[in-house]
Amino acid sequence: MSNVSDWNEAANELNAIVASFDEGDVSVDDLFSKLERATEIIEALETRLATTRAKVEELTPRIAKVAEGE
Amino acid sequence: MVTDTTSDDPVFEVGEFYQLITAHLEASFGRRRPHWVRGEIAKVYEKGHVYVDLVDAGSASSDTKRPVLNAHCWATPWAPLKRRLASEGVTLSAGMVVSFYGYVDVYAPQAKIGFSIVDIDVQGLLGDVARRRQELIERLRSEGLLERNKGTVLGPVPLRVGLVASQGTEGYQDFTGQLLNSPFSFDIVLVKTLVQGDAAPPQIVSAIKTLDKHGVDVICVVRGGGSKGDLACFDDERVARAIATSSTPVFTGIGHTGDESVADLVAHTRSITPTKLGEEIVAIVSSWYQGNVRTPSAHLLEVTADVLDEASEYLSERRRTMIFAVRDRLRAEERHLVSTRERLVIQGRHLIVSATQMLASSRQLLAAYDPKRRLAQGWSIVSDANGDVVTSLGDVVLGDAVRVLVSDGSFTSEVTTIERPPHE
Repeated sequence: MSNVSDWNEAANELNAIVASFDEGDVSVDDLFSKLERATEIIEALETRLATTRAKVEELTPRIAKVAEGE
Repeated sequence: MVTDTTSDDPVFEVGEFYQLITAHLEASFGRRRPHWVRGEIAKVYEKGHVYVDLVDAGSASSDTKRPVLNAHCWATPWAPLKRRLASEGVTLSAGMVVSFYGYVDVYAPQAKIGFSIVDIDVQGLLGDVARRRQELIERLRSEGLLERNKGTVLGPVPLRVGLVASQGTEGYQDFTGQLLNSPFSFDIVLVKTLVQGDAAPPQIVSAIKTLDKHGVDVICVVRGGGSKGDLACFDDERVARAIATSSTPVFTGIGHTGDESVADLVAHTRSITPTKLGEEIVAIVSSWYQGNVRTPSAHLLEVTADVLDEASEYLSERRRTMIFAVRDRLRAEERHLVSTRERLVIQGRHLIVSATQMLASSRQLLAAYDPKRRLAQGWSIVSDANGDVVTSLGDVVLGDAVRVLVSDGSFTSEVTTIERPPHE
């Protein structure tokens, strides 16, 4: 995904878009481009989350072995 | 004074003289008739038979003239006495005050008048042993040694364990079994010692000092169960002092039937058996592991799951919010358009109504001004040849033909006179 770097940065941008919608700041002309950007960010973050989750799933049994093992 | 052998006094051979002495002694004391003699042991030596030098209790060893009784106990009477003493945890040693039951005997080959022991006042001796033990404890207490080793700091993970024990004994096996069967990698540094008998204390002292210098996390002094006698070396003052002054924490796991030993009292921590001591050490490490590895690991798993779930929930929520926000925004625009349209329609209607009203009133006004009504009332309209309405004398000249409109038609007339009002 293009232009989606740091999670927090991306989340902040996403929040700002949502906030602009909440405040009714979005003109109809901007609406599509903002929605498109928001979708891009959400998808990028979801991909990243899925990747992270997969990696965590890989490590979990190893940590669990320590946490629960004798 | 000089005398000679020619007098009446008999002359004895040495052996005869000793026989005479023996006879006199036996006459006084009775042959092999025992008496109780009480004294402090100055020296004791055992080799099959046991030899004890007994002095008056409390007398100074520097006093060269203090009386000494060379007592001995032959192997045959000694064996049962020794067993009895051992079962009570008593070993004859210097400083003990003891009552011996025995008889005087003369041993001519060594020019000795001695004392042959047939019995020992074990109860009295035990009292003395207890008193001396109590004195030792008080001495250690007054020197602050009971608490000294307890003041040393045990590291959080005592994995390097110095062990003072007799390898292969039950106590050793019990203790090391606990450590080796635990999930932790203990590093056991063993210094082998005897754990009973007179030779044990110096070895134990040396082992403690060696391990203290070696740098272990804890020194464990281990000995399986046994009789009081077996465990007596752990009441030894040298052992107690070595434990107390060790800069490494010393844990004891001594016996399982005996009373608390002096070693237990001065130790950092005491367990009642080697097995319990092993469990204790494992429990300390286990507790650290639980607190610093296992619990944090479990927490880490929970937190990780929470973070992922939170992120996931966040994204779902943002997604929903976006969809609703866009939909709301579009709806708002639609509503705006609809309401604008409605407003326009209503305003248009108003315009039409007011225009209609205006027209009606105009129509009424027009009706009021309709010239036909005036013509019917007798008014007429004069127009010139061009059809222009004549409203002024200036519009005509004499001789002009004018058209006169009346209510039901018109006729033509000629301007024959022009009259002006007199004031003009």
